Amino acid sequence: MKRRQGWLFFIIFLLTLSVYLLINYPLQLGLDLQGGSQLTLQIIKEEGKVTKDELDAVNSVIDRRVNNLGVSESNLQTLGGDQLILELPGEQNPLVASRVLGKTALLEFRTQKKGTSTDLKKLQLQRLNIKELIEQYSSSEKSQYDDNFLTNIQDDLKEIEQELNYSSTSSDLYEKLIEIKKYVDKEITNLFIKTDLSGKDLINAGRRQEQTNSNWEVLLTFSNSGGEKFAEITKSIAGTNQLLAIILDGESISEASVGSQFANTGITGGSATISGNFSAENARELEVQLKGGSLPLPIEIVETNTIGALLGSKNILKSLYAAVIGLIFVGIFMILNYRILGFVSVLSLVLYGFFNLALYSLIPVTLTLPGISGLILSIGMAVDANILIFERIREELYNGNTLTRSIDSGFQRANSSIIDGHITTLLSCFVLFLLGTNFVKGFAATLGIGVLISLFTSLNCSKTILRFFTTYQSLRQKNLYLPRNNFSN
Amino acid sequence: MKYNLELIKNKRKIFGFSTVLILFSLFGILFSTFNTSYKKPINLGMDFVGGNELRIERVCEEECSKFSPDLVLENLKDISKNKNFLKNIKLQFQNNNKLISIRTPYLSIEESNNLITNLDNIIGPLNYKSKDSRLIGPKLGKRLLTNCVTSLLVSLFAISLYITIRFDKKYALFALLALFHDLLIVFGIFSWLGIILSVEVNSLFAVSLLTIAGYSVNDTVVIFDRIRENLKLKKEGHNETIQLSVNESFRRTTFTSITTLIPLLSIILFGSYSLFWFSLALSLGIIVGSYSSILLAPSLLLKD
Repeated sequence: MKRRQGWLFFIIFLLTLSVYLLINYPLQLGLDLQGGSQLTLQIIKEEGKVTKDELDAVNSVIDRRVNNLGVSESNLQTLGGDQLILELPGEQNPLVASRVLGKTALLEFRTQKKGTSTDLKKLQLQRLNIKELIEQYSSSEKSQYDDNFLTNIQDDLKEIEQELNYSSTSSDLYEKLIEIKKYVDKEITNLFIKTDLSGKDLINAGRRQEQTNSNWEVLLTFSNSGGEKFAEITKSIAGTNQLLAIILDGESISEASVGSQFANTGITGGSATISGNFSAENARELEVQLKGGSLPLPIEIVETNTIGALLGSKNILKSLYAAVIGLIFVGIFMILNYRILGFVSVLSLVLYGFFNLALYSLIPVTLTLPGISGLILSIGMAVDANILIFERIREELYNGNTLTRSIDSGFQRANSSIIDGHITTLLSCFVLFLLGTNFVKGFAATLGIGVLISLFTSLNCSKTILRFFTTYQSLRQKNLYLPRNNFSN
Repeated sequence: MKYNLELIKNKRKIFGFSTVLILFSLFGILFSTFNTSYKKPINLGMDFVGGNELRIERVCEEECSKFSPDLVLENLKDISKNKNFLKNIKLQFQNNNKLISIRTPYLSIEESNNLITNLDNIIGPLNYKSKDSRLIGPKLGKRLLTNCVTSLLVSLFAISLYITIRFDKKYALFALLALFHDLLIVFGIFSWLGIILSVEVNSLFAVSLLTIAGYSVNDTVVIFDRIRENLKLKKEGHNETIQLSVNESFRRTTFTSITTLIPLLSIILFGSYSLFWFSLALSLGIIVGSYSSILLAPSLLLKD
C-alpha cells in the first residue's frame, strides 16, 4: 500500500507555509470588529448611468479631500459602479468627513450685471435678515419656544416674503426658512454673469486669520492662465460699481468691489482671498474642498456605520468563543461516532482552519462579522464531506470488505455527492459575491474560499492522513473504525 | 444499527404534515401583509427601509439607575425638525439599564450626533467607546432590498439549472419543490416572529435564505444520488428501493445536520447579538431542510 508520501509532505509543507503567512501577515479585521466608521457615498446622476470615467473622477476628488483632511489610515474604495465606501478606523468622528465630502464645491467667479446695484442691495439686506432668522431659530432649544417667539419669527418671515414677492409653500417653519434662503441665493447669483474663471484654475488653497479680527479668510492661488483670467476680469470691472462675486455651489460667499487703481492692469499676482466671516473650522473645510477640486457629480451620504472599538472587540471575542466551543463539540461528536476516522477528520479540520486563515491573510480578505459566519458555515460543509465519506467506509466495512478496500471505495463513492454539494454552494456564493452588497460579499467570500479548500482537505488531506495511519499494523483493527456493538447487527 | 423509516406507509402523513406547515407559513405571510401596520409579507428591518440605530453603554458606578423611556423621549424632541420623528422612535434599556438601544427614522450625521449629546445630558455619562450606530438612507434601503431579492432569484435559478442538467426532470422538479417548501416555511416562521415579537429581517436574513437553499438542495441531491444508484442495481421494487435508500442515507443526513447545528446553537447561546436571528434562521432552515430531504422529497418520488 502506497503511503502517499508525496502528498503527506506536500500537506506538511502547506501547513508550514500557512503558519509562516499567519505570523508575518496578520489578519485584517473589518471595522465591525476593530471599531471605526464607514460611510457609503452614493453618486447622484439624474439621467443615465454613472460612467467609469465619472466614477474615477469622483473617486480621485474624494480621495484628495480625504487626504487633505488628514484622517489617518482611511480606506476608500468603489462599489457597484456608483457608490464609494470610505472607512475611517478608530475613534474618528465621521461628522467632519461627512460635511467636507458631501459638498460639490463648484467654485465660480462672476461679475455683476450692469445697473443691478439697487436690486443687489435689496437682496443682500434680505439675505442678512433671513440668515438671522435661521440663526435665531436653530440656536434655541425647541422646548424653549413659546408662542410669542414663533409668532415673531413667522411675522419677520412674512415681511421678508413680501419684500421678495415670493412665498414658500412648505408647511414646516424650518423648511420655509431654508427655502427662502435658497431663493435669495439664487436671485443674487442671477445678478452676476459667468466668467471663464472657475475652481479648475486653482493650484492651491490656504487659510489664515484676518489681522483685524478673529475671523478667518481663505486664500486662493491661481495657475498662470488662471491668474491672467483673474487680472482680465478684475480689470474689466475696476473702478465701476459692478462687483465680483465668488460663488460656491450656487451660493455667493463673497461680493467685493475692485478699486479704480486696478483699471489698467487688473489684480495681478495670481492670488485672491475670500473673507466672509469664516470660523477656523469653516475655513479649513473650504480649503480642503477647494484643494481637492469640485466633484463632477453631486454625491449623497446614504449610509453611516459607527462601531466603537470596545463593542467591536466584544463582538469578535464572543462570536469566536462561541464558534470554538461549537467546533470542540463537533470534534467530540465525530470521534465518538467514527473513532479513528473521527480523529482523522479533526486533524483535517485543523488543517482546514489553517489553510483558510492563511488564504485570508494572503488574498487579503478583511475579516468581518458576516465573514466569520461564512467561515463557520463552511466548516459545516467540510465536516459534511467527511461524514459522507466515513458513512460509505462504514457500509463497506459492514459488507465485509477489508479496511483498505473500504477506505478506497468509500472515498470514491462519496466523491460525486461531495462535488454536487460543493458546487451548489459555490454557485450561491458566486451570485452573492457578484450581486451582493459589501456586507454580503464578506460572507460569500469566506464561504466560497472555505468550500474550495474543503474540496482539497476532505478529498485529499483526510485520505492522506488515513493512509498514513493505516500503514501501522496496530491501527488497522476494524473495531477502531466502528463502535464494537455495531458488529452484532 | 439499521434504521427503518416506513416511508411508504406514512406517505399521507408526511404530505399532510408538510401541507400544514405550508398553510401555517402562508397564513403568517398573508396576515402580515394585510393585518399589520407594516403591510409587508415580512417585517422589513432598517437595512431595507432606512433609519438610524444607536446602541451605547452608560458608565455607572455600581448599578445603573432606572429611567422611564417616556421621560428620555420627552427630552429628545428637539433632535429633528421632522414632525413624525417622535412617533417613530423606539427606546429600550437592556443589561440592567446599562445598555441603551434606540431606533429612529433617518437622521443626518449632525442630528445623530445631537442625539448622542442629548442622551449624554439626560442619562449620561456614556461610554463612547461602546458606541455602535448605523444610519441608512431610505434610498440605500430600497436598493439593498432589490439587491437581496435579485441575488436570491438569480442564485435559485442557477441552482435549478444545475440540478436540471445533473438529474432528469422529475428528480430536479421534486428537489426544487422541497427547496421552495423549506424556504417558504422559514420565511413564514419569520413572518410570524415579526407579527408576534416584532422581529425584523435584515440583509443577513436574505443571506441565510440563500444558505438554506444551498443546504437543502445539497441534502436532497445526496439522497437522490443514492436512490439512483440503488435503482440501477434493481434488487427490489421501485418504492422499496426508495425507502431503503432513504434509510441508508438517514445517518449521514442527520449527522451532517447535527454537526452544522452545533456551532450555530453555540452562536445562538453565546455569540454576539448581531448573529442571533441569523443563526436561528439557519438552524430552522437546516432542521426543515433535513426533514424535507429525508421524508418529503423521496415520498414525492414514490409511485402509487
